[in-house]
Order: sequence, then C-alpha cells, then structure tokens
Amino acid sequence: MEDIENELSDRDRAIYEWQLNVPGLGEQGQVKLRNSTALVSRIGGLGGPLALSLAAAGIGKLILVHGGHLRPDDLNRQILMRHDYLGKNRVDAAAETLRQFNPHIEIETVAENFTEGNAADLVERADIVFDAAPLFEERFLMNRECVLQQKPLIDCAMFNMEGQVIPIVPGETACLACLYPEVPEHWKRRFPVIGAVSALIANIGAMEGIKLIAGLSGVNLNRLIYFDTLAMKLQKVKIVRNPDCKICKKL
Amino acid sequence: MTLTIDYTGQLASVVGASEEAVEVAEGDSVADVLKGRLEVYGEKFGELVFDGEGRIRSTLLVVLDGEQAAGDKENLSLEGVKVLMLMTPIAGG
Repeated sequence: MEDIENELSDRDRAIYEWQLNVPGLGEQGQVKLRNSTALVSRIGGLGGPLALSLAAAGIGKLILVHGGHLRPDDLNRQILMRHDYLGKNRVDAAAETLRQFNPHIEIETVAENFTEGNAADLVERADIVFDAAPLFEERFLMNRECVLQQKPLIDCAMFNMEGQVIPIVPGETACLACLYPEVPEHWKRRFPVIGAVSALIANIGAMEGIKLIAGLSGVNLNRLIYFDTLAMKLQKVKIVRNPDCKICKKL
Repeated sequence: MTLTIDYTGQLASVVGASEEAVEVAEGDSVADVLKGRLEVYGEKFGELVFDGEGRIRSTLLVVLDGEQAAGDKENLSLEGVKVLMLMTPIAGG
C-alpha cells in the first residue's frame, strides 16, 4: 500500500510496529511524525544523536544545518561521523549515515550555519526546529525566527557533565530571549564535553519534540529540563515569560 | 537559617562544586548572598554573576525552590526559600 496523507503504508507499519504500541502514539501519532519536517542545527555532539533519534522515530523529513568540515576533535561526540570523513563536509557525512540508517525518510542538507541571511527561509521550511548550536548568536536567530513564524523550538544545550532542554512554543511559553535578554558575555565557543552527555541531552530534546509533533501529552512547557549527569539528577525548573521580552512580548 | 545553593554551568566550574550549604541571616536577599559568595570565590565568580555596574547579570537565571525568579533580581527575598539555584547560560552543541 502506498503512503497516503492520513494513513501509514504497510512498510511503515512494519518498521514502526513497536513504536505504534506506545500508549498515546499509535498510527495517528506516527502519521503526524511522518508528515512533519524537522530542522536540526547544528549536527554535532547534540544535533547528531538528536537527528538520529528523529530518523529512528520516522520524522518524514529532516533538514540538517551545519557549516564546516569534520575535524579530529569532533570525533569524541559526533556519532553520525566516521574517521574516514575527516576533512569532508560534516553535514553530508551526517546525511549519509542517516540515509543508511533510515532510507525511507527525506533528508535535506544545508552546509552553512544559521545567519541573518538564511534564518527566515530555513525556519519557514520546517514544522519544528531543534537548536543544538554552540553560539548564542545562532540560538537567538533561531529563537527570533521561530517566534516570528510561530514555530516550536526545542532548545538543547550542554556544558561539561550537564545539560538542559527548553521546549519553546511561541505565545505559550517563555522564549529563549525571555530567559537570556542578551548574548552572555562569558560564554565560550569551546566547552568541555563527553559524547555520552551530549547524546543524553539530545535524546531528551528529541523526546520533547516527538511528543509535541505526535500530539502526546507531557510536553514540558514553561519548564527548563536540567540534567546533571555527575549526580544523575534531573530537575524541571519552572520558567516564566518576560512581559517585556523584546522578541515575544507581542504574542 | 541554612540555604542550599546549587550551581550549574560555568559557575559550578568556578566554585568547584555543584552544591553548597550556607548560613544566611534573616532578611538577607539573593543579592546579599551573592555578594557574600563573591568574597569567597573571587573575581571569576563575580564576572559570571555581576555586570559592570555590580548588578546581577540579566543572563543569570536565579531559581528559588525550583521556580525561576522573574523581575528585578536585586531585591529578591529569600524568606522561606530552601534552595537557591544559579544557572549560567549554556549553549554547547
């Protein structure tokens, strides 16, 4: 049976059989996943495992956004990469791995990072955006565009042995600029990271996005999910919208 | 009263711990406690917590008993608060 808009094909039923048994998901939720386009920026230690989990879940289309080439110091955490990709375009390497893993989803690559010039167009092409960028300038661009276009944004971040995920639904939740009204002065591009930590945080982000897309309950709106892997402590911090937020106050 | 302070991100690195217990006096505000920790942990702590005018940074999330403190951070009361969590921004990818 061919894919039609509101039904799964026999092939998809076979692939996602175990997932279809998840309470609340079912065929209807799986169809929503299949009919969705998710953008992931960037495809590093966080974005790589995040994209892999979205591909496993059967998101219909992934847009992978990441500029630059693979370096040796990426390989402790960027699990979509391989040593023989060194020096090659990172986003193409990620797409190749994902296509091998799930050839039935569509993957588009954008070999550049978020900029003022491409942000609006990139967000417009997606139903949901996953933020795994290392710089606040990029994060704020994604946040601004998602708020303007009223698209959900799953903001994922990590540092050292800890990480956090903030599901953002414009108009309903605090946005990134509500929490951080300016670029943090002391954040540095280079940060300590173990791959298992970034993958763990990535999968928390993936789950929040999957719940949101599939219409499952339990999305942590107006919560910052914080995980300390050293103490193995998970905490959900209640966050609030800033009524004076320069990005989302009009929504 | 005893207050637990949870540190995250770069602040935990500077302090060298993710948690500590401190004694605070009745009527102390969040700002009072932070000024006290500045004396213990020094300049690096100060850079992450205070801006150039000595005010609590706009990008520092101040969390009281699990809830982000909104509004003016300079006059946040600690009355009845058991855990003060200080979260510096992180963006690692």
